[in-house]
Amino acid sequence: MASEAAPGPIEDDRRSALISTCVVAGVGTVAAATPFVLSFQPSERAKAAGAPVEADVGSIAPGEMKTFEWQGKPVWVLHRTPEMLESIKRADDRVNDPKSERTAPGYPATPKYAKNEYRSIKPELLVVIGICTHLGCSPRGPFGPGSNPQLGGDQGFVCPCHGSTFDLAGRVFKNKPAPDNLPVPPYKFLSDTVVLIGDDSKA
Amino acid sequence: MGLHKTEYKGLLGWIDARMPTLMLEYKKHMAEYYAPKNFNFWYFFGSFALVVLVIQIVTGIFLAMHYKPDARFAFESVEYIMRDVPGGWFIRYMHSTGASFFFIVVYMHMFRGLLYGSYRKPRELVWIFGCLIFLCLMGEAFFGYLLPWGQMSFWGAQVIVNLFGAIPLIGPDLAIWIRGDYVVSDATLNRFFSFHVIAIPLVLLGLVVAHILALHDVGSNNPDGVEIKDKLDPQTGRPLDGIPFHPYYSVHDTFGLSVFLLAFFAIMFLAPELGGYFLEWNNFIPADPLTTPPHIAPVWYFTPYYSVLRATTEDFMWVLAAGVAAYAILLYLTVQRPAAKYSILIAALVVVALMIGGPLKLDPKFWGVVLMGLSVLIFFALPWIDQAPVKSIRYRPFWHLLLLVVFVLVFFILGFLGTQQPTPGFTYLAQACTLLYFAFFLLMPWWSRAGEFRPVPDRVVFSAH
Amino acid sequence: MKKLLVCLMLAAGALWGAAAAAAEGIHMDPFPDERLKDLASLQRGARLFANYCLTCHSASLMRWNRLEDIGLQDKQIKDFLIFGTQKVGDVMAVSMRPADAKAWFGKAPPDLSVIARARTSFEYRGPDYLFTFLRGFYRDAGSPTGWNNVVSANVAMPHVLWERQGPRETTIERVVHTEKAASKIVTVLDHAGLASTSTTPLTGHPEESLEISFKPVDALRARQFDSDVADLVGYLVFMTDPSARTRVLIGVWVLLYVGLFCVVAWWLNRAYWKDVR
Repeated sequence: MASEAAPGPIEDDRRSALISTCVVAGVGTVAAATPFVLSFQPSERAKAAGAPVEADVGSIAPGEMKTFEWQGKPVWVLHRTPEMLESIKRADDRVNDPKSERTAPGYPATPKYAKNEYRSIKPELLVVIGICTHLGCSPRGPFGPGSNPQLGGDQGFVCPCHGSTFDLAGRVFKNKPAPDNLPVPPYKFLSDTVVLIGDDSKA
Repeated sequence: MGLHKTEYKGLLGWIDARMPTLMLEYKKHMAEYYAPKNFNFWYFFGSFALVVLVIQIVTGIFLAMHYKPDARFAFESVEYIMRDVPGGWFIRYMHSTGASFFFIVVYMHMFRGLLYGSYRKPRELVWIFGCLIFLCLMGEAFFGYLLPWGQMSFWGAQVIVNLFGAIPLIGPDLAIWIRGDYVVSDATLNRFFSFHVIAIPLVLLGLVVAHILALHDVGSNNPDGVEIKDKLDPQTGRPLDGIPFHPYYSVHDTFGLSVFLLAFFAIMFLAPELGGYFLEWNNFIPADPLTTPPHIAPVWYFTPYYSVLRATTEDFMWVLAAGVAAYAILLYLTVQRPAAKYSILIAALVVVALMIGGPLKLDPKFWGVVLMGLSVLIFFALPWIDQAPVKSIRYRPFWHLLLLVVFVLVFFILGFLGTQQPTPGFTYLAQACTLLYFAFFLLMPWWSRAGEFRPVPDRVVFSAH
Repeated sequence: MKKLLVCLMLAAGALWGAAAAAAEGIHMDPFPDERLKDLASLQRGARLFANYCLTCHSASLMRWNRLEDIGLQDKQIKDFLIFGTQKVGDVMAVSMRPADAKAWFGKAPPDLSVIARARTSFEYRGPDYLFTFLRGFYRDAGSPTGWNNVVSANVAMPHVLWERQGPRETTIERVVHTEKAASKIVTVLDHAGLASTSTTPLTGHPEESLEISFKPVDALRARQFDSDVADLVGYLVFMTDPSARTRVLIGVWVLLYVGLFCVVAWWLNRAYWKDVR
């Protein structure tokens, strides 16, 4: 005879068994799902490709810029002349965030060693990620004074996509689409001529 | 207003008012699907097959995120998954273990059908959908096996595609069309990837749904072969020997699944290669079109049919021709209608001529393919060749069970022989087993009717547990 | 029924035995499996691998930093194992081009990433094969490279580890028979690979056989070499399947959990089926 659920102890027994089974099964399901969820994370290959890059900066002549690749992004190393450093001082009151204090979700905060006048460890070497903080295009430059109408008398970089402009310390000028200064990656000097981009640990 | 009057409350009520099908189907297939209460061990394997199908699809989805279906990158992308992708080894081993377990489960599931006559009327269509699922499963496994692009992958595909090349007249062109190239190459790999990842899984899902719907329409068989719908409760109209699938069998199958998972995970974590049967050693050598490995054999689940193929030698053709002639005579003496009698004789004559008749003769290579194909296709015929007056082995003469055991033994021996080198001794054994294999089916219309049958009870045999 | 099953199992056993006997092959020396649990041994093996094998063979599916699994730190890997400019996250690729390798050796040296599994068969285990192969080189002045190998006759690979192994004398005893007569041919190869052969006729119909044995000059050095090769092969086994140890450890816990689930599911099943008559 087909049975209906009986009242009393049988029902209690069923309920306890059911709850226990669900709990144990739940634990198992979470455990089983873990490798699948983890498999979305960057693989060892992706992590290896994103490893720090050693950049030889000794051969960059004054006024010249070299681009290195780190984590698939362009990293600019610009050897600034004293005259270029002057232009940065002059732009102080026309840039949005002169002291690089801004933080925003998804935007890497400027490291301590770059929270200075020239946004770099050594004043003559600018190290920034060459990606506009608006929507991700790579700005063009560096342009000297008067050589680009969008910069006017200033020196710096111009983003071709929506016209944001940045000074020679990578700081964004006021009233431009981009909200933030060009990000400074973690970096340190391994020697006078070699910079390790992607790693700023003391060790 | 278009809203259905619902008995449910809350969110369920809202859905039911707009899509009554949901709860109607749930009741029809789970809460009010009355299944016989005397299901035993052999009745677990259908639900296990469904679980393994889900496992393969889910692991397959995640593997496809990292696998590269390009002959230059395929092999290394599999090792990339094993080493560089977090949790990748888990997903890969689960998929490879699942592939072999799918066949273990399906063979057990089919064996249940043989034991209890589950393919008999009115369940012939359920059986046919099942056989089609089996064919699709073999195709799915074959296409999937090329993907790791190891030596076994490559040469296995090369051999099987060349089998199609054995078809007279159109064979060689057909083989090139299948491969998309003159040898198994990147073109072949890419299309096999498409078949394996989407084409066949879609067909499989459709067939599985049809298989289950067809079953639920007629109701499940049981180990006693008693039709439970014949004895209904006068008040409720429900089968006296039936119990609702949910919760009784959902709970029962959950327990069964836990034991199944014990076996599954034991192999997956502790011995995923299983001695070279689940993951073949030769497949850890990247595909080399210039060198065939010394021992090549198909994966274990194909070996019985492979044995039949290899057993078909020049000499064996004479034995087969004699067999065809003898069978034709048997049929001639059995069928009544003169038209049928004479068509059988003519057909037999044509077949024998094509087997051994001088200029008309077709290569044993071709007949080997035919025999191998027939060894799989013959399962389709079971509903019609089994003519026993009772469905279940429990009420048949004991020697029927012996024949079934012999058949299983023959299947295992053929399987084993398929993994070995074809020595003369092993070839004779394979040929004998091939004859026994086909005799089991082809003579079934006669032997299934012979002997003393025991009376089938009215009600199922069940002891409370 | 029980008798039937017993008969069947005996028959199955007999078949399997027949198949095993039919499989002829070289006797493989067993690799000492306990080395796989010894991290120090695996680290020594990694060092031998980097020093001796990575000049010709690549292992381009294995990353350097995976060696952290056997207890090495990135700094150690970079300082002691990686030669050249590769970073610790790079794969163990080599600069020898396959086309050049084919021209120089006749065959490109295979990539060793999964070699322990690739060299396994139904007749022997991969680790045993590798262990026997690497210790099986002997001096043979008659071969193209000046070396031969018990496992792989006239192998194209030179005996890279020859300095570690030290010289030894090789004795090859072969029993052959033609239709009419049988004879035993004993070839002794000295340290320079020069052969001296003696043939003895045999009576009856002895089975054909081949036995190769060695006599090292320095037994202690030979034993140390065997241990070195065990380290190296252990490392090759690790490299073939780096996740093996993690997998087995997790597996034990998984099985315990499923066992618990079995118990709970059995309770659930009984709770519902109690009232089915």
